[in-house]
Amino acid sequence: MRRLEARRQMEEANFLSSKARSQNLNPPIDLRMLDYVTAYDDNLMCPICRCPFLDPVVLAECDHCFCRDCIRQTWASTYSPLGPRGDCPSCRTPAKLGPRSATSKILVNITDDLLVRCPKSEDGCKAQVKRGEVQDHVNIYCGYAYMECTADDCELHVLRKDAAEGCLHFGVSCLDCRQSMQKASLETHWRVQCPDRKVSCELCKEAVFNREWDTHSRETCPAISIPCPGKVFGCNSRSKRSQADVHAKSCTFAKLTPMLTAMQQRMDEQEAAQKVMVRKLEVLEGGFQAVQTILSTKQEDPDQVGADESRIPLLTGRPHQRGDSGGMLDAMVVETDVGAFVFPPPSSSSRPSSELVHVRAGASLPPLYSAPMAPGPRPADLPEPFTMDFDMASPFPPPAANGPYISPLHHLLSMHESLRDEMSRMSAALQELDGRQSMQALNENLRTREEISYMAAQVAGLSRQVHWLTSAQLQRQQHGGAGRQAAGAAGPSGSDIAGAGAGVEAAVSTAASALRGAARIVNAGQGMTMRRGLSEEGRTKL
Amino acid sequence: MAGMSSKRLQKELVKIQGTLPPGIALVSAENLREWQMDLSIPDNPIYPPTEKYRLRFLFSPSYPIEAPEVVFLASSNPERKIPIHPHIYTNGIICLDLLDTQGWSPVHNVESISISIQSMLAGNTKAERPPGDAEFVRSNRQRPRDINFLYHDPSV
Repeated sequence: MRRLEARRQMEEANFLSSKARSQNLNPPIDLRMLDYVTAYDDNLMCPICRCPFLDPVVLAECDHCFCRDCIRQTWASTYSPLGPRGDCPSCRTPAKLGPRSATSKILVNITDDLLVRCPKSEDGCKAQVKRGEVQDHVNIYCGYAYMECTADDCELHVLRKDAAEGCLHFGVSCLDCRQSMQKASLETHWRVQCPDRKVSCELCKEAVFNREWDTHSRETCPAISIPCPGKVFGCNSRSKRSQADVHAKSCTFAKLTPMLTAMQQRMDEQEAAQKVMVRKLEVLEGGFQAVQTILSTKQEDPDQVGADESRIPLLTGRPHQRGDSGGMLDAMVVETDVGAFVFPPPSSSSRPSSELVHVRAGASLPPLYSAPMAPGPRPADLPEPFTMDFDMASPFPPPAANGPYISPLHHLLSMHESLRDEMSRMSAALQELDGRQSMQALNENLRTREEISYMAAQVAGLSRQVHWLTSAQLQRQQHGGAGRQAAGAAGPSGSDIAGAGAGVEAAVSTAASALRGAARIVNAGQGMTMRRGLSEEGRTKL
Repeated sequence: MAGMSSKRLQKELVKIQGTLPPGIALVSAENLREWQMDLSIPDNPIYPPTEKYRLRFLFSPSYPIEAPEVVFLASSNPERKIPIHPHIYTNGIICLDLLDTQGWSPVHNVESISISIQSMLAGNTKAERPPGDAEFVRSNRQRPRDINFLYHDPSV
C-alpha cells in the first residue's frame, strides 16, 4: 500500500515537472497578440485594447464591458484595498470590479469562437483555430511548437513534427553554404537564413536564392503587379510584371510617358532658368534705378547734357570707333559671348555687323552664368558686367526722364558720361573741402596769436607796476634819508644811503627776476589762472 | 505591455488609413512612436479654412493606459502655424484635460483626440493666447504631461 502511494507521488511529480518544462518551452500565448482570420464586429471589441474581449467583465454601475486585464491596468494607479475600483473609462462613472462582474457566458463563447492564426504561423504552421482552442493547439498539436527531444539522454528541445524522427541533435553542415549546425535547426536555416538555398516564390513559383529574395520580390518577380509606367500621368491600371509590356503597348499614357517626362524635365529646367532670370532682372532693375537717379540729378545742369549728346559717338552712325569707349564696349560684348542676347533691331545698325555673324541663335543662358552676379546694384565702374546687364535689360524701355535713346549702348555711354561728371563734381567738392579746412586752421591760429599778444600786454603792465613800486620805495627812502640828515647833528652818513640804495637795487632785481619768470611762463602759453597765480606770486615777492 | 501598445496602434493605424472624419488627415506614421496629423477647422472665421494645423502624437510604451503626448507643431515647409486659442500656448502645448493623466481614458484614441481638438478649435470665439503665454513659453522646459494645468474652463 505504501509502495503504491510512493509510486503515485513519483508519477505525479514527473507529470508536473514535464508540464512545467513544456510550459517553459511554449510559454502561454498572449491572446491579444493573435491575428484574427476574419473581421470581427466592433461591438465585440474591448475599447481599451481594441481586441475581441478577453475574459470580459461588465461594470455593474454603467454596464460597460472591458477585458479584465485592461480594466485592471487602467485602474492600477487608483489602488484601493477594497478591490479594483475607479472611473469607467467610457463614461467616467465611479465603478468597481466585484465578484459577480463577469459577463454572461454567451459573450465569452462568441469571442472564443473567432478564428485566429496559430501564433507559430511565422514558423510555418498553417493552422487556423478557434481562439479558445489556440492554447491547446500549441501545447498539444502544433507541429511547430517545441517539445523535449524523445531521446533519453538528450535534454534539448525539438519541433513537435520532428520528434518522431528520433534525436536530431547531431552536427551536420548545410550542403549549400557549408555552415555547420544541428540537424534539428537545419530546416529553419534553409527556410530563412541560408543564402545559397533556393526557396520557391509563392507568386511566380520560381526558385530564388535566399540572398536574392529582396530584389526578386521588389524588382524581378513577374507575378507581382506593378503600376503602369504612365501612372503619374493618370493611368490607374496595375498589371503583373510579365504582362506590363502588353499593357504598355495599348496604353496611351504609357506611350506618351517618355515624351511627357522629357517635357516635364524641360519645363523644370526652364522654370529654374526663369527663376534665375527673374532674380537677375530684379538686380538689374535695382541697378538701373540707381543709375537713373544719378542720371536725372546730373541732367539738371543743362550745359553738361549738351556736351554729353555731342560726345556720344554712336549717335553719328559710325560703325567702328576703335580706341573710343564705344568700340571697346563692342569688343567686350563679343568677348563675353553674350551675343545670344541680340539687341533690338535699331541697335544693330550701330554695331559692327561682322562681329554679330557668329551669334548662337538658340543658345539659352546656362544657369551657371548668373553665379557671379551679386544681388543689389552693381558698382558703376565695372564696364564688362555692365555691358551684359544692358544687353539683357534692353527689353524694358528706358525711362522717359532720360529722353529716348537710340540704343542701349547709347544709353550706356550717356551713363558713362554722367559718371565722369559725377567724378568731377566729387573732385570739386574735395577741393572746396580742402580750402575750408585750411581757412579753419588759419582762424584757429589767429586766435591763439591774439591771446599771446594779450598776455604780453599784461606782462608789460605788470612790469610798469613793478617799476612804479620800486621808484616809490626809492623816493620814500630818499625822503627818509633827507629827514634824518636835517634832524641829525652828525653829517650825512653815506653808509646809510649806500645801504638804502643797495636795498632798492635788491628789490628791483627781485622784481626783474619775477618778471622774467612771468614772461617765461606766459611764453609757454599758460592760461589765465596761471597768470593770476603768477601776479600774486610777484606781489608776495615784492 | 509594449506588445499591447503596438498591437493597438497597428489596429488604429489600419483604421486611420481607411477613413477619417473630414478635416483630419494622417501625415506620417513611420513608426509606432510618433505620428503626425493635419487638422483643418471648418466654419470658424478665426481659422481660415485653407489653413492646416499639424498635430504631433508621441506614444509611450504604456499607451493606451497612459495618454499620448499631443502638441501642435509649427513648420515652414509646408507652412503650419500654431492655432491661436486661449488654451494653446505659442510653443504648441495644449491645455486640455483629455490629454492629462486625470482626464485621460484608455478608451480614447488618435481619432477621438483629433476630433476633440478640432471641435475645441471650431468652437473657439476668442482669438487670443492663454494668459502668461510669453512667460510660460520662455520658462517651460517640462514635457506637457508633467505640467500641472489647472482646468478651469468647462466651456470648451
